[in-house]
Amino acid sequence: MLDYELLKKLCTADGISGNEDEVRNIIISEITPFADSVTVDNSGNVIVFKKGKKTPDKKLLISAHMDEVGFIVTYINPDGTLKFETVGGINDSAVFAKSLKIGKSKLRGVVSSKPVHLLKADEKKKCPSVGSLCVDIGAKDKEEAEKYVSPGDMMTFDSPYENKNGRVISKAIDDRFGCLVLIEMIKSELEYDMYFSFTVQEEIGLRGARTAAFSISPDCAIVVEATTASDVPFAENEKRVCLVGSGAVISFMDRATIYDKEYYKLAMDCAEKLGVKAQTKTMIAGGNDAGAIHSSRGGVRTLAVSVPCRYIHSSDSLAVAEDMEAVYAVVRATAKRILEI
Amino acid sequence: MKEILKKLCIEKGVSGNETEMLNAVQELLDGIAEVETDNSGNIIAVMGDKNADKHIMLDAHIDRIGLVVTYINDEGFIKAEPVGGIDLRTLPSSAVRILGREEILGVVCTVPPHLSKGDEELSRDSIWVDTGLPAEKVRELVSLGDSIILYSEFKELLNNNIAVSALDNRSGCAVLIRCAELLKNEKLPCRVSFVFSSQEETSELGAGTSAFRLRPYEAVVVDVGFAKQSGVPDEKSGRIGCGGIISISPVLSKQVTNRIIEISKRLSMECDYEVCGGGTGTNADKISASGCGVRTGVISIPSKNMHTQTEIVSLEDMEKISELLSIYVKEGGAENA
Repeated sequence: MLDYELLKKLCTADGISGNEDEVRNIIISEITPFADSVTVDNSGNVIVFKKGKKTPDKKLLISAHMDEVGFIVTYINPDGTLKFETVGGINDSAVFAKSLKIGKSKLRGVVSSKPVHLLKADEKKKCPSVGSLCVDIGAKDKEEAEKYVSPGDMMTFDSPYENKNGRVISKAIDDRFGCLVLIEMIKSELEYDMYFSFTVQEEIGLRGARTAAFSISPDCAIVVEATTASDVPFAENEKRVCLVGSGAVISFMDRATIYDKEYYKLAMDCAEKLGVKAQTKTMIAGGNDAGAIHSSRGGVRTLAVSVPCRYIHSSDSLAVAEDMEAVYAVVRATAKRILEI
Repeated sequence: MKEILKKLCIEKGVSGNETEMLNAVQELLDGIAEVETDNSGNIIAVMGDKNADKHIMLDAHIDRIGLVVTYINDEGFIKAEPVGGIDLRTLPSSAVRILGREEILGVVCTVPPHLSKGDEELSRDSIWVDTGLPAEKVRELVSLGDSIILYSEFKELLNNNIAVSALDNRSGCAVLIRCAELLKNEKLPCRVSFVFSSQEETSELGAGTSAFRLRPYEAVVVDVGFAKQSGVPDEKSGRIGCGGIISISPVLSKQVTNRIIEISKRLSMECDYEVCGGGTGTNADKISASGCGVRTGVISIPSKNMHTQTEIVSLEDMEKISELLSIYVKEGGAENA
């Protein structure tokens, strides 16, 4: 069983792209006793080396990103409310009326707009755009707000974490779940030497993975992610992309990467041999750090294994423990197999 | 005040289920007033001289908006419809509390950003809630007709502002309870009924039936009013922190309204006014026309983001309005009977 208490700690920590400190500190304190080397590079990535029982002839990197989608304060209005922009891909529909934590002090604020009673009929049917919203912290005016908030402060969703009946509802499962898988591997005994990177700034363009892959210079890589499941009542067939409860998601292609075909088959085969569920994506959608890693230096053979996750990039995403366990099992087994071929 | 409000806002009580609030109200009024319910689900507390000719009704609706479970599909997704004026814009990917046999957390379904721009037209006919549980388990825990409310935590903002769901109108209920506390040891020249009324958000049912049954001489309604915020016209709103918004309307009694204004000035409250050409959009519209007619006034707590999970009010405004009402009652209302 994965350490779900640690998942809670990781998911409820706050770290939008470029502000991963809190998450990084948790990770470093968790893994340091178990790793052979832990460094933080210029980009803020955590680079880890752990010796296994054997030294393989290939260098394998396993990677997950630390950052989450969120918001950044851009301006303080005269009435003391905050203007902001999204950091990473958040739909307008996921923003209005949500509670937020602001800055290092985790000041409370809420996303505000004109109440429904005062809207025209067509306005009631459309979620307000991020540009039209503001965050209210209860300040009387700009002068008071400036004592608590500065442009550039990060804002994250302030939402519940619940792990009950085998399913988790939380913000930031993307990709604190991936971080958890890496931490669990580092804490365990490994068959082969492996490199791990906990990357920054995935959500704004796979930026940390690019530098991490450059400096580690791996031959092969596995990216551990949370990916879009859209198996909701108003999406059918292939539009569901992947299904919660149907196991580890092993992609053949997404918007950023065409995955290594042998590794794809290897991972599917590992799942079958382990007797855990696995599936692939039925749409070419999304993208992740693999996009930066597979194209690094002279090229890196790359695989991505993800947990299917509904309502990703919102305050309340949902995934099930069964799928999480499947991802962990597949990643472990495939890592070993990759180093044996 | 904060503790009273906290207790009320996290509670259930979607329109039609107001008696779920009975225990909370009873606990808060323990040793202060006797509490009872009636046929319409109103919760009523009585204080003062029961034989007095003068009878004042203080009203705050206790129901909250929400959703009701209408269907469970074979994948375990729950179909829901609004109860009251739900703001559909607040629903996508929001956490909700499904108040079934056992309370469970769920999320309102959306299509993710990789597949949509999130600009689909919102419709009250396509609200689906996801618990992540298999259909069998969902059917065991949830029945058709169960309530769903948006998940919300009590958040303290700067300047004693509070952000949480159901401030409409649990903040009004908290004001009534605080007013009762202030009157606890007073000898009152009148009888006063605190009515925590039902189904305001759907039909103002409870205000009408309770006013008919109680036949008060005067009534004051406490509800939330639009606070000034971006996009809200000045003439339709009051400032948070101004003390309260006093309504002036043809359906309201000038004597009651003037007495409220007079007491607000005595208390140095800088109240804002909301002038309505017709009805007030509050329970006052039903109460004033109930039975042979009831002299009615309205004072509102300025509130931002009404009908969302993050409504905002000021505790200071609530405290001031409680004090104003307690003086109103202590002095026997607007005029002697």
